[in-house]
Amino acid sequence: MDSRRDFLKTSLFGIGASALMNPQLSWGSEDKPPMRFIFMHRGNGLWPRVMVPPSFDETLQKKEQQKSAYEVDLNGHELPEWMAPLSNHVDNLTILQGLSGKMCTVGHHSWSSSLGVYKANERVSSIKWATVDFELAKLFPSPVEHLELACFPLGGGNARGSLDGIATGFSARGPQQPNYAFGSPRIAMEELFKSVSKDQATQVQYQLDRMVLEFAARNEGATARTLVNAEKNKIQNYANSIEAIRERSRKVDAMAETIRKHVPQLDPKYLEADISTFDRQIGHAEVLLGALISGLTNVVAFTVDELGHAYTGITGIEGATVNMHDVGHGKTIAGVEAAEIRKRCRTHHMKLVDTIVQRLKSVPEGDGTMFDNTMLLYFPDGGETHHSHGYEFPFVILAGDNTRLNIGRRYIRLPNYGDAGHKTLGNFYTTLLNAYGNPIEHYGALDVGLNAYGIDQTGPMTKLMG
Amino acid sequence: MRIVFIIFIATLSSVSTAKANETVEPFAVPGPIQRILQQSCLHCHNGETSEGQIRLDSLSELQHTERLELLNKAQDQLFFGLMPPEEAESLMPQQQTELRNWLRAELQAHNASKLDDKLLYPSYGNYVDHDALFVRSALEPAFTPARRWLVSPQIFHHRVMDIFQLTDRERTGYATRSFFGVTNPFILPDHSGVRDYSITSLDGGHLLVMLKNAQWIASKQIFAAENKGKDRNAIIYSNKQDRWFPQVTPIEFEEIIVSVTEPTEDQFLAAIVKQFQLVLRRPPSTEEQTAYLELIKSTTQLAGKTEGLRQMLVTVLLESEFLYRLELGRAKEDTHGRRQLTPHEASFAISYALGDRGPDDTLLEAAQEGRLETREDFKREVTRLLADENYYRGQIDSTLNGKHYQSDVVSHPKIIRFFRDFFGYTESLKIFKDVKRSEGKYQNPGRGTHGTPGWLTYEADRIVTYHVERDEDVFNSLLTSDKFFVYYNMPQEQGDQLLREWQEVYEHLKDTAWKTQPERVLEENLEFLKERKGMRIMDNSRPGELVNHMHFFAESFGQGRKPFTRIPWSHGYTYHHSPFYSLPPTPSIGRYGSWKSTRYEGDRIELKSFWDYPTEQPFTIENRKGILTHPAWLIAHSTNFHADPIRRGRWIREKLLAGRVPDVPITVDAQVPEDPHHTFRERVEMVTQGNECWKCHKEMNPLGFAFEMYDDFGRFRTVEKLEHPENLIKSGDGKGTFDVYKTTPVVTSGSLTGTGTEELDGAVDNALELIDRLAQSDRVRQSIIRHAFRFYLGRNEMLSDAKTLRDADKAYLSSGGSFKSIIISLLTSDSFIYRK
Repeated sequence: MDSRRDFLKTSLFGIGASALMNPQLSWGSEDKPPMRFIFMHRGNGLWPRVMVPPSFDETLQKKEQQKSAYEVDLNGHELPEWMAPLSNHVDNLTILQGLSGKMCTVGHHSWSSSLGVYKANERVSSIKWATVDFELAKLFPSPVEHLELACFPLGGGNARGSLDGIATGFSARGPQQPNYAFGSPRIAMEELFKSVSKDQATQVQYQLDRMVLEFAARNEGATARTLVNAEKNKIQNYANSIEAIRERSRKVDAMAETIRKHVPQLDPKYLEADISTFDRQIGHAEVLLGALISGLTNVVAFTVDELGHAYTGITGIEGATVNMHDVGHGKTIAGVEAAEIRKRCRTHHMKLVDTIVQRLKSVPEGDGTMFDNTMLLYFPDGGETHHSHGYEFPFVILAGDNTRLNIGRRYIRLPNYGDAGHKTLGNFYTTLLNAYGNPIEHYGALDVGLNAYGIDQTGPMTKLMG
Repeated sequence: MRIVFIIFIATLSSVSTAKANETVEPFAVPGPIQRILQQSCLHCHNGETSEGQIRLDSLSELQHTERLELLNKAQDQLFFGLMPPEEAESLMPQQQTELRNWLRAELQAHNASKLDDKLLYPSYGNYVDHDALFVRSALEPAFTPARRWLVSPQIFHHRVMDIFQLTDRERTGYATRSFFGVTNPFILPDHSGVRDYSITSLDGGHLLVMLKNAQWIASKQIFAAENKGKDRNAIIYSNKQDRWFPQVTPIEFEEIIVSVTEPTEDQFLAAIVKQFQLVLRRPPSTEEQTAYLELIKSTTQLAGKTEGLRQMLVTVLLESEFLYRLELGRAKEDTHGRRQLTPHEASFAISYALGDRGPDDTLLEAAQEGRLETREDFKREVTRLLADENYYRGQIDSTLNGKHYQSDVVSHPKIIRFFRDFFGYTESLKIFKDVKRSEGKYQNPGRGTHGTPGWLTYEADRIVTYHVERDEDVFNSLLTSDKFFVYYNMPQEQGDQLLREWQEVYEHLKDTAWKTQPERVLEENLEFLKERKGMRIMDNSRPGELVNHMHFFAESFGQGRKPFTRIPWSHGYTYHHSPFYSLPPTPSIGRYGSWKSTRYEGDRIELKSFWDYPTEQPFTIENRKGILTHPAWLIAHSTNFHADPIRRGRWIREKLLAGRVPDVPITVDAQVPEDPHHTFRERVEMVTQGNECWKCHKEMNPLGFAFEMYDDFGRFRTVEKLEHPENLIKSGDGKGTFDVYKTTPVVTSGSLTGTGTEELDGAVDNALELIDRLAQSDRVRQSIIRHAFRFYLGRNEMLSDAKTLRDADKAYLSSGGSFKSIIISLLTSDSFIYRK
C-alpha cells in the first residue's frame, strides 16, 4: 500500500486537505500527522473480574480482590482468554481498572453519559456539553470531523426505529445537540463515500445537495451584502457557514482519488439488510478503517452494541436471537450460559480491535505507521455490570508509539472508590484532553458522593501524562 | 428518512481574519485629552513604570489595531470605574466625561468599540444608570434598533407546526412533544434573568441542524401525496417508529407530484408561492420567484418532478428568514428618523410577545385592513389577546413533563416564563446533590424524571401562576406571600370529599380484624366500601390493598392528621419532597408493602408522624416568605454542596436592586477554603475580607448572609452541619441511617444597601426582614420592570427608553399592581412600535 503521506505530498488533495486542518496541528503544515481516536463502547456492563490476566500471582489476585491500587507490566503475562486476539499487540495494550463514573447515568441505559461524563437521559436537554470524542475531534480537524457508527438498540428503554438508518447516536456535538450515527455499514458507505459512488441515484442526490447549497449560499450572501454591522453579521455568519460546507464538499471532491482508493471493499453480505450483529460489527469496522485511512475523519465513536440490541450471529449459536437483557440477568440461551455468551461477544469485539490495529499498522505514515498515531478505547457505556452503580468503568486501551499518554503494556488498577487518589472518568478524559492540547481544568461533572471522602476529583491523572 | 448532508457534520470554524499589513496612521491626541492623561494617567502608565504593562505615552506610535485595543481597554477601565484606582487622585467629573467621550468617538469612528458590543448583553443591562432612567434624564423619542431577532425554541416549534398546518387536537398534541425528525436548533442560555435577546446570530451549528430538519420536514410535507390512494397498511416507512405525517399535502405540491405530464411553469410557481407562505409567511418577490423557478427546473431536470419539488421545499426551509423575526420598519421615517413597524411586522411582534404562536386571524385581519396603525390599535389588540384564555393556552414548560406529571396548562405560558427567567428557580434542575446529605429524601433528575427539583420547579410555577392570574399587587405578593402549593394534586372540594370518604372507611373498619383477616373484612363490608368511590374498590379481589389503606389511615386519621390525597403505593408515586419546605415527611413508596400481600407491615416498622396534609392551597408555611424562600429558588442559588450566600446576594443586587457586580477577575481563583472548624459563612467572610475582594463582595455577601437560615436543600435551619470527616459523630449506611455531624448555630444577620431609600437601608436580622424591606422599595419594583422591558423588547434598555419605563411603572402603580398593565404599557410604547 502507498504511504498516505507520500500521496498527500504529491497530490492536489494534499493541498486541499491540509488547508482544512488546524495549522498548528496539521499534518500537512508541520509534517506531523494528526492523532486518531476510536471510542468503542458496549452495553450490558463490562465485568472488572474478566479483565484480570490469569497469570497474576496470589498477591496480585488478592490486591485485585481488595481493589487496592497496583500496576503491573504485562510482559510475560497471559492475557484473559477473550483478549487472545490482542496477543500481537501487548506492547500497545493497557488494561485500566478502577475509574468510577457515578456522575453518569448508569444501569440499563446511559445515553451519552459515558462519553460526556454527566447524567444523560432520553431528553436532549440532558446533554450538558460536547462529548469527549467531539472535543478531541476539534483538536484534530478533518473534513467529516467525527464519525459515529452504531449497532442500534431496537428494544429496551432507548430504542431506535431501525437498525439500518441514521438515528440519534451516543455522542454529542455540544449542549443539547445529539450526534447522529450510521446504523448499518451500507448506509454509512453510501453517505461517506457518495462523492465517489458509482451508483447513479447516489450521484444524483449528491448533485442535488450541491445545487441546494449553492443556491442558499448565493441567496444569503446577497442578503448580507445589503446590511451593515450587527445585522450584517446575523446573515453573514449563516452565509459563511453554508459556504464553509461547500468548501468542505470541494475538499472532499479533491480527495476523490484517495477516497476512492480506500472505499471499503466489503463482501456484499455486509451490505445486506438482514445482516447479523457480528457481521454488522465487522462491516462497521471496515467503514471505520476506510474513513480513517482516507483521511475523512480522525475520530470515530463506535457503539459496538447497546443493551437493547438483539444480538445475532454469536459464535456457536449463530441462528439464535439473543436478548442481552436476559444475558444480563444470567439467563442461559440456546444452551449457552450467559457468562459464556458475554465472553464470546467480547472475543469477537477483540477480533475487531485486532483487525483495526493490524490494518492501521500496515499503513505507512511518517517514520512509522498510522497506528503510531492512533488510540483505541474499548469500555462499557454503563459501568461494571448489567445493573451497574458506576463504581467501575474498565478500559482496554491500545495506543500507538506516538501516544502522549504514559501508558502501554501495563495493567493498572487505580485506588478504589473513596480511597485517597481515586480517579473518575472525568479525570481520565481530562488527561486525554490535556495531553492532546485542550488545557481544560476538568472535563465532566463531579461526583457529589465523592465529596464526603475529601477527594479532589478535578484535573488530569498526572501519572498518565506523558 | 434521508439525510443527505450527514457527511458534512462538522464544526464550522469561523473564518479567520488575517491581519493585513498595517501602516501607522497619522494620529494625534487632542490637547485637552493630553492634559488629562498627563495629570491623571501617565504617572503610572509611562515608558518607565508601565503599570499593568500599559503605556499611554506612546499612543501615536502604535499600529492602528494595537492602538484600538489599548483604547478599548482604557474605555472599559473608565466605564466600570476601575481607573484611576481608589488610592490615586480621582478625575473631576468633567474630565471623566471628556475622556470618555473622546475614547468613545475615536473607537466608534473605526467601528471598534467593544464596550458598545458588551452593553448589548444581558449581564450589562444594569450599566444604564437607574436614576437616569426613572428620574433624571430628559425624555427622548424612544425606538428599538431595526433588527432580526432569532426565534425562541418555542416559536421555532410552532413555526414547524404552522408549516404542517396543524390544527385542533393534532396541534395540541404536538405542542407538548417534538417531531421525530426535527431537532430544535435553539437553546437559550442558562442563567437567571432574561435569556432571549435579539443579539444572537445564526451560526454553523444552527445550519447543520437545519440541513437535517429541512430534509425531514420537506419529505413529510409531500408524504401524503406520494402515498395518495394507498391503504395505510400498505405504506412503506423508512423507519417504523417514524410513521406520522400530515394527512394532507398542499394541493399546489400534490398537483406536481401526481401530474402525469411535465409540470407547467404556473404549477411550479404556485408551489413556490405556497412554500413561501407556509415557511416565511409572505409571498415571494419577483426576483425570488425567478430564482426559485430556475432552481426547481434544474432540480426537476436532474432528479424528476417529486424530488425536484422536494429540493425546492428544502431550500426555502433553509432561508435564514425562517429562523428570524424580522422587525425592520416601514420605508418612511418620521421626524425623529424612526420607522414604525409595518402592520405585518407589528402583528407578529405583538403575538410573539404574548405567546409562541404567530398572530391569530383577528390580528392578521387588523394588519391587512389598516387597523394596526395607531397606539390605540396596538392597545386594542394587546388587551384583547391578554383577555383571550385560549389562543396561547398551553403548558408552561413541556420539557418539564415527567413520566407521571405534566407541566401546568395556563392561558399565557409566556408570562409565567418571564417570572421563571427572572427568578431563575429552574436552575435548581441543574444542581446535583449527594442524596445521603438529605437523609435520602432528595432525588436527582434522572431518566424519565426531573426528581425533586422538578417537583419544586413545578410548584414554584404554581405560586407564580396564582399571583399572575390574580393580577393584583403582583410583585409584592410574589416577594412576600407566605403561602405555597405543596403536593397540590386536586381541587380542594375534590380533596375534601376524598378525605371524608377515607375517614369514614377508617372509622367504620378500625375496630375490625383488618390486620389479621382482611379477606373477611373486605367481604363483609364490600358494599360500604364500593359506595366510597375514592377507595376505588370494585370487588373483593384485593384484600391486601385494604390492609395498606387501613395502615395508611391509622398513621394519619388515627393520629388526628389528614393524609395526602394519593396513596403512596400507587403507580408512579414520587411525592417525597415535603421536607424541603421543612414540612414533616410523607410515607415512602414502599412503607406499606405490596398491595398484593395481605401482610400488615405495622408490626415490623416504627410508627412515624407524617405531614398533616392541607387540601386548601396555597397554605401558610412557617419561616417562609415569597419566592426567595421557596426551596426551588434556594437550591438554584446554591452549589452542589453548600448554601451559597454569594450567589444569593448577587441575585438580589442585580435583579432587585438594579445593581452591578463585575465578573470575577480572571486572575482570581475564587475558592472558599475547606476548614472543618468553621461554617461556610465564616469561611466566605475569611476569604473575601481583603480590600480587593471586598470591593465587589460588599455588594453581595451582606444580602446573601441573611439567607443562611436556609441550607442548600432549601430547608429552614438554625444550625449548620459541619460536614467534614473530622466532625463525624455517627456514621450511617446511607440508606436507612445517615451520617451525623457536629453542628454550630447559623448567623443570619445581614444588611441592605442600595434601595435608594434611607429608611429601608440598614442592618437586618434575617432573610424575612430583608424581604419585607425589599418589597417596600421603589427601586425593587422598577428593577423588576426593567427586566420585564428586556423580556418583552429582547434587549437592554437605553436612556431613550426612559419614558417607556416610567410609563410602565405608572401603569403598574395606577392599576393596583397589575402585571398585565405593564405588558400593555410596554407593547404600546414607542420602544416597541418604532425602529431606527
